[in-house]
Amino acid sequence: MRTKKVLLGIVLILYMVLSACGAQPTATPSTAQPTTAPNTEKVTITVWDYYGEATPIKPIIEGFQKEYPNISVNYEALDWDSTLEKLNVVMTGGTPPDVVTIDMTWLPKFAALGAFADLNQLSGGKLNNVAWKDAYTAGGLESITYQNQIVAALYDFDVYALYYRADLFEKKGLSVPKTWAELKEVSAKLAEGDKYKYQWLAETFHGSQWIFENGGSLLSADHKSVTFNAPEAVEAIETYASLLTDKSAIYWGADQGERIQGLKDERIAMFSDGPYNMGIMKSAAPEMAGKWRIALHPAGKQSGSYLGGTGLVIPASSKQQDAAWKFIEYAMRVENQIGVYKYAGAAPALTAALQSPEVNIADPYFGGQKVFEVFLEAMKTAQHFPYVRQWSDVDVAFSQAMEKVGLGQMAVKEALDEAAQTATEALNK
Amino acid sequence: MTAGSVSKRSMQKIQNYLMAYAFIAVPVLSFVVFLLIPMVVSFWWSLNDYNGLQPAKFVGLQNYIELFTKDKNFINALRNTTSFVLLGMGIGPTLGLLTAILLNQKVRFLSIFRTAYYLPVMTSLVVVSTIWVMLYNQNGLFNTLLGSLGFEAVGWLSDPKIALVSVAIASIWQGFGFETVIFLAALQSIPREQYEAAMIDGASGVQQFFYITLPALRPVLAFVYIYGIIGSYQIFDQVFVMTSGGPMQSTSTIVYFLFGKFQDLRLGYASAIAYVLFAILVIFSFIAFKMEKE
Repeated sequence: MRTKKVLLGIVLILYMVLSACGAQPTATPSTAQPTTAPNTEKVTITVWDYYGEATPIKPIIEGFQKEYPNISVNYEALDWDSTLEKLNVVMTGGTPPDVVTIDMTWLPKFAALGAFADLNQLSGGKLNNVAWKDAYTAGGLESITYQNQIVAALYDFDVYALYYRADLFEKKGLSVPKTWAELKEVSAKLAEGDKYKYQWLAETFHGSQWIFENGGSLLSADHKSVTFNAPEAVEAIETYASLLTDKSAIYWGADQGERIQGLKDERIAMFSDGPYNMGIMKSAAPEMAGKWRIALHPAGKQSGSYLGGTGLVIPASSKQQDAAWKFIEYAMRVENQIGVYKYAGAAPALTAALQSPEVNIADPYFGGQKVFEVFLEAMKTAQHFPYVRQWSDVDVAFSQAMEKVGLGQMAVKEALDEAAQTATEALNK
Repeated sequence: MTAGSVSKRSMQKIQNYLMAYAFIAVPVLSFVVFLLIPMVVSFWWSLNDYNGLQPAKFVGLQNYIELFTKDKNFINALRNTTSFVLLGMGIGPTLGLLTAILLNQKVRFLSIFRTAYYLPVMTSLVVVSTIWVMLYNQNGLFNTLLGSLGFEAVGWLSDPKIALVSVAIASIWQGFGFETVIFLAALQSIPREQYEAAMIDGASGVQQFFYITLPALRPVLAFVYIYGIIGSYQIFDQVFVMTSGGPMQSTSTIVYFLFGKFQDLRLGYASAIAYVLFAILVIFSFIAFKMEKE
């Protein structure tokens, strides 16, 4: 009886543990080859879209199906939060959709595992009759290239620039900072008690920006060693951290709430972020229209930013790769790329779309500024995170070091050295 | 007795058996498909370097060795989870018992109190966690109260020294209503005669508690602790919503850490973590069963 009880207990516990882990059936590695569907053959492709309500994907489906009546689209609306989890499940289960919107920060893992089809091969080297290298900026093209394959079509891009309160700058007679030294000076003059500060975020997106701006990098070019504790990186993070010791920056931890709240109650007067943030500000803080402007983030030895955004990918195990490619190519037409701005308020990745009169407009929310010119400029020097299988370990180690620095728990060099040791161990696995 | 009647009886017997097997087939199949096979597969994964996209590579106990010898973040998550369990189990059931004892007095509007205490238990953990994030916010209720009393604001979720305690407080608040209701039901089932006899013998209130109430509650206490420990070791939602494991991994727990490894498609490694968690829970459950037996 007792044995039975213990056994029952063990089974119950294991069930609970495994349920929490979401155990999945054994997956078979993807070996499916693209099929060439004759134009007359009816095929269905499944498209996963994580944009939510402000989707630029859904509005193009009708036009696509008119042009390709033999391809029907099974459209599935998802949200950003759950897409990665779902993608993991279907990829390992061998039943992926045919086209997926992915955050470019998810690419390192999937690219390193060969999870996505080579679009260069599917496209015959051209995107809508334009060579890939001419369709994107150099950084944009590099961000979608992995081991000579094009693993995604960059759909919208994300690079960081400086958002600042132009009304306060004007009131205090301050100029937009162009260098780190100017940023330190301006932020010190701008801050008043707990108000009007530069937002200090302890994670890789922002930490890496400062390192890139000082000519540094996170990993070596061959991705075999850690470089985020090299002298130029240490100097960059020390400068970033000095904004906190100067009391001209505010450390933005979990209990500070959403950034938008900080903008509204004026704790934040400057921050660094990407073009997607403009849409958030417009919808959540319409009363602040006209107060904000955007400029290139102040440079150290050079300008710099992380480069991310949204990519359109075709899982390598998709059985309708040709049809899926047609959909991607259609979505990447300039007129459809404009929808990225029109519907989602984000920055279309194609240079031609970005420079089109529909996108490159004077934005009244930002005082009539042509904001995309700034982001396009920032994109020229932006770089993507290293495409290495152990990226998440590197990311966690670096972010942890940034937290230790931001919370004043450790000196910059010590924290980065400690994180570098952890990241090196992960890279050597 | 003819050969025909024997054969008829055998057929009847087989039919009865078939019927019985048909009835138990559904639960047995569901046990095999949804529990046994995933258990075995997951254990096999834990012995492999497996990402779900490429063929698995057998590595023996390497994942387990790496967890305990190289992975500082896992050890940290293990330590955090144990601290969380100790905090939760130290305060939660005690608070539940005290509340139940208070409610067991002749209180007016008992059902209203009972409902009020039980309400958070029925509320989604995500909702509860979101509410507590607002309360802990730099400009939230707690810091506003502290400020009005002349104290400095506390970084409830940004100070690595107290973030785990903050998460534990929210979890205790969410869960102690369950314990209260269980204890209250148990208290109300203790025969009044035992207390009356004790009073006649001159036993004080404290003596009544230790010699009547507590012994009578032992099976219920074992139940509350077993399920409490199992549940607490699997804490995930609160961490996911409130802190994402930060600051400085100070609230990273085993299941949150495991989730990260699944997200990273390190399925073999994540399975090894799941089995370590399983082993821990088996040990605790064994102790609890033993206590219950005694």
